[in-house]
Amino acid sequence: MASRFPFIVIGPRALSVRPAAVLLASTMIAIFAVATGCIREDDLTLEQRAHQLYSQLMCPVCDAQTIDGSNAPVAQSMRLKVRELLDDGKTNSEIKEYFVLRSPEGEAILAAPEGGGFNLLAWIVPFFITFGGIGIALLTIRNLRRSNARSAEFAAAGSGSATDQNDLAKYLAQVDRDLGISPIPAAGKAGPGTPSPDEKADS
Amino acid sequence: MADLGVMALLLGMALSTYSVVGSVVGVKTGMPALVVSARRALYMTMITAFVASGALIAAFVQNEFAIKYVAEHSNSVMDRAFVWVAFYSGNEGSLLYIVLALSIMSALAIWFAPRRMERSMPWTIAVLAVVQLFYFFVLIFFASPFELLDVIPEEGRGINPLLTHPGMFSHPPMLMGGLIAITIPFAFASGALISGNYGDDWVDVARVSAILAWGVLGAGMLIGAWWAYTILGWGGYWGWDPIENVALMPWLVLTAFIHSIMVQKRRGMFRMWNVALLNIAFVLAQLGMFINRGGPVVSVHSFASSALGIIFLSFMLLSLLFAFGLFLWRMPQLKSDRAMESFMSREAAFLVNNFLFLAVMGVTLWGVVFPLFSDLARDVSVSVSAPYFDRANGPILLGIVLMMGVGPLLPWRKSSARSLRRWFAWPLVIAVIVIVVLVALGVKRPIAILSFGVVAFVAASIMEEWWRGTVARHRSGDKWARAWWRLVNGNRPRHGGYIVHLSILMLGLGIIGTNFYQQRTDGALALGESLVIDNYRIEYVDSDSSSRPDRIAQWAEMSIYRIDPADYATEISLARAQGSDSFRLKDSTRRPNDRLIDQIQPWHGFYPDFNMASVRSGIRSTIVEDLYVIPRDFLSDGRISIAVSINPLAWWLWASGPFFILGTMVALWPQPAVERRPVRTEKQIRALATGDL
Repeated sequence: MASRFPFIVIGPRALSVRPAAVLLASTMIAIFAVATGCIREDDLTLEQRAHQLYSQLMCPVCDAQTIDGSNAPVAQSMRLKVRELLDDGKTNSEIKEYFVLRSPEGEAILAAPEGGGFNLLAWIVPFFITFGGIGIALLTIRNLRRSNARSAEFAAAGSGSATDQNDLAKYLAQVDRDLGISPIPAAGKAGPGTPSPDEKADS
Repeated sequence: MADLGVMALLLGMALSTYSVVGSVVGVKTGMPALVVSARRALYMTMITAFVASGALIAAFVQNEFAIKYVAEHSNSVMDRAFVWVAFYSGNEGSLLYIVLALSIMSALAIWFAPRRMERSMPWTIAVLAVVQLFYFFVLIFFASPFELLDVIPEEGRGINPLLTHPGMFSHPPMLMGGLIAITIPFAFASGALISGNYGDDWVDVARVSAILAWGVLGAGMLIGAWWAYTILGWGGYWGWDPIENVALMPWLVLTAFIHSIMVQKRRGMFRMWNVALLNIAFVLAQLGMFINRGGPVVSVHSFASSALGIIFLSFMLLSLLFAFGLFLWRMPQLKSDRAMESFMSREAAFLVNNFLFLAVMGVTLWGVVFPLFSDLARDVSVSVSAPYFDRANGPILLGIVLMMGVGPLLPWRKSSARSLRRWFAWPLVIAVIVIVVLVALGVKRPIAILSFGVVAFVAASIMEEWWRGTVARHRSGDKWARAWWRLVNGNRPRHGGYIVHLSILMLGLGIIGTNFYQQRTDGALALGESLVIDNYRIEYVDSDSSSRPDRIAQWAEMSIYRIDPADYATEISLARAQGSDSFRLKDSTRRPNDRLIDQIQPWHGFYPDFNMASVRSGIRSTIVEDLYVIPRDFLSDGRISIAVSINPLAWWLWASGPFFILGTMVALWPQPAVERRPVRTEKQIRALATGDL
C-alpha cells in the first residue's frame, strides 16, 4: 500500500515529461501560495505583533539594521511608539503607514518595499527568476533529449556503430555500478530480494 | 617596518607583472625557459606577500604608531592575541591579507596541479598573476597599509570592540580567503579555455579547488552567524545584510558548480554550463570585493567608504568581460559528450537544482540592487532587508532542500518505475508521518510543518541509502560499523555530500525553528525582580561592573527557573489581557514547582573611544530551544533593560558546523590511486566490488 503511493503521483508506467513537470510546478506554486498566505494578525498577541513590526522597520541612524536589533535611542523610542499605537488598536499596516509619513526617510523606513507601482517590481521579479529558471532547466533537458534521439537515429543508420554504442553503454553501466556504492558486480548476481543499492545505478 | 613592507609590495607587483608577461610571451614565442621562470616568479610573489604581511604584523607587535594603519587599529594595552585580528580589521590590512591568501593558494595550486595540465598551465598562471597584480597595484597606489603619519601619536585608537571575539580569528579570514579562492578554479578553467585544452583535465583540479573555496566560505559564513548570535546582541544570526549577501551569492553558485561538475566527471555533460558557473562565481566574488569597499549600498560590515569603489568596480567589469568573452569565444568546443536521456535522471535533477541555486542568487542580487534602481528610476529611496529576503528566498530554498532528497534518489541516465517506487516510498511515508504527527500535536504554522516534512523526507532518503548499502555489505560479512565505513569510503564524493546534506538539514531545522516559532519579549528589571516568559522565570540576582582604560563593563547575574504555568495562572491571564506574552514579578519568592536550571551572566561593555557598545548575551542552550537574554542597557536607576527571546532549535544551527566540515573533508579526501585506475577486467571488477584490494 505504502510503496504504491508515489506511483499514484508519478504515474504507473510512463515516466513522461508532463506529470513530472506538472508535479514540480504545482509543488512550487503550492509552496509560494502558502508562503505568501502568511500569518493572520488576529492570531497573534499584541506583543508578538510588536516584535513582528520591529523587524519590519529600519533604524534610521544605523546601517542596514532594523529597530529590532538596534540599541540606538531612536530605535528605542520607535519601539515604544509601535507598542503605543498597537495598544490604541491600530493595524500593522496603519502603523507602518504612520512611520512612512512621519519619518524623514519616507518609504526607506520600511525594511521591505511595499505597495503597488514600482515597488511591485521587487516582488514580481523573483517569480520570473524562479519560474523562468525552472522553465529554462526543463526546456534544456527536453532539447538535450531531442538531440539524444537524433544521435541515436544517426548511430542506428551507421553500420557497426550501433554495436559499439551498445558495448560502450554496457561498459559504462558496469563502471557506474562499480564506482557507485554497490559491492555486487552485477544486479543479476544479487540474491532474490536482496536490497542492493546498485538498483539506482541500473538503467 | 614601513620601508620593508613597501619594498616587498613593490617587488610583489614587479614579480606578478613579470609572471603575466613571461607566461604569455613564453607560450606565444615558444620559449619554455621563460614560461618556467614566470611560474617561479609566481612562487616568489608569495614570499613578498609573506614579507609585507610580516612587516605589518611586526609593526603591530612593536606598537609602531608612526604607521597610520597601526595607530588606527591597535593600541598598547590591547591583548596581543588580537594583533592577528587587527591585521585585517581595516580596509588596507584586509587587502594585504587577501593578496597573501591568494598568493599562497596560487602557489599550492600550481605545485599540486597534475603534470598533464602542462599545456594550459602558463595561461592559468597568467590569470592568477593578473589578479594578484591588481591587488598589489591597489595596495601600493590606493590603500597602502604602510602609510606614515606626520605626527606620531602617543597611543593608538585600539581595535574595534566588536571584533574582540574568538570568532573574529577565523570568520573574516575565512570569508575573504574563500571569496578570493574562487580565483583558483576560475584560473584553471580559463587556462583550459585559452590554451584550447578543453578536455576534462581541468575538471578534477577545478572540482577540488572549488570545494575548498566553497567549504572555507561556507564555514566562514557559519562562524560569522555564530558570532552575530553571541555578540551582536540582536538575537538573530543572519540579517541578509548586503555584505552577507555578496558572500552568499558566490557560495550558492559554487554549490551549483560542485554538483554539476560531478555530471561532467561522470557523464561528460554540462561542459559549457560548468564553465559559465565558475565565471559567474568569480565575477560575483569581485562584486563582493567591490561592495565591501566603497560600494553603493550601506551595510554594517562595510569599510569607511573609500575612493576604492570605482577601481574595484572597473576590475569587476573587466573580469566580467574577460570571463564571458572567453566563454563565448570557446563555446562551440564545449559540447557535451552525451545527451540527456530522461527527465527522471540524476543529471536532470542536478540541472534543476542548479537553476534553483541560481534563482536564489538572482533574487538576492535583485534585492541588493533594487534600492539603487528605485533611487535612479523614481528618486525614492527604499530599504530591502530581511523581511524581503525571507519571503522571496524562503520558498526557493525549501525547493532546493526538496531537490536534495529527490536528486540523489534518481539514478544516472534514466529511472525505471521499479527503482523509483523502491527508493521514494519510504522517504515519502516518513515525511507524511512527520507532518501528520506535527499536526496532531497541534503545532501551528503550515509552512513550517511543510518544511519539517521536507526535512524528514530528505533525512529519510539519506538514511535509506546508508541503510541499504550497509545491510548489503553487512551480509557479505562486514560488521555494521565497518560496513557503513566501507560504504562511505567506496564513494567519498557521494557520501561526503550526504554528510554535508545532513548538516544542511540540521541548519534547516534551526532556521525553521527560529524563524517560525521564536518568542520575544523585553522589559526592565530591578535587583530581585523576575521576568516570566513561557516556562521560564528569569531572576535578576546580582550585578557587577569594572572599569578599564578602554571600556566600562557591566554584567548581571541571573538565575533561570523552569516554572509550572499553573503556579502563575493569575499573572499569566492578567498579562494576556494586556496583550503581553511575559510579565514582571516584583517578588521573586520561589513558587512550589520552580526549579533552578541555570545561571547566566549577560555582559555589556561600553567603549568610549569608539562610542560603541558591545554585548555578550546570556544564553541557555539546549537541543530543544535556547533561552537568550540580551542586556540592552544598565539604566541609571539600577535596573537592567533586557530583551529576551526563546529560539527553538537554535542549537542545531551550530551543531551543523562540524558535520559540514567533516562532510567537505570526506568529499575531498583523495581516492587511493589504485581505485582511480579504470576497471577493465572481470577479475578487477570483482576485486573492487568485494573490497579485496
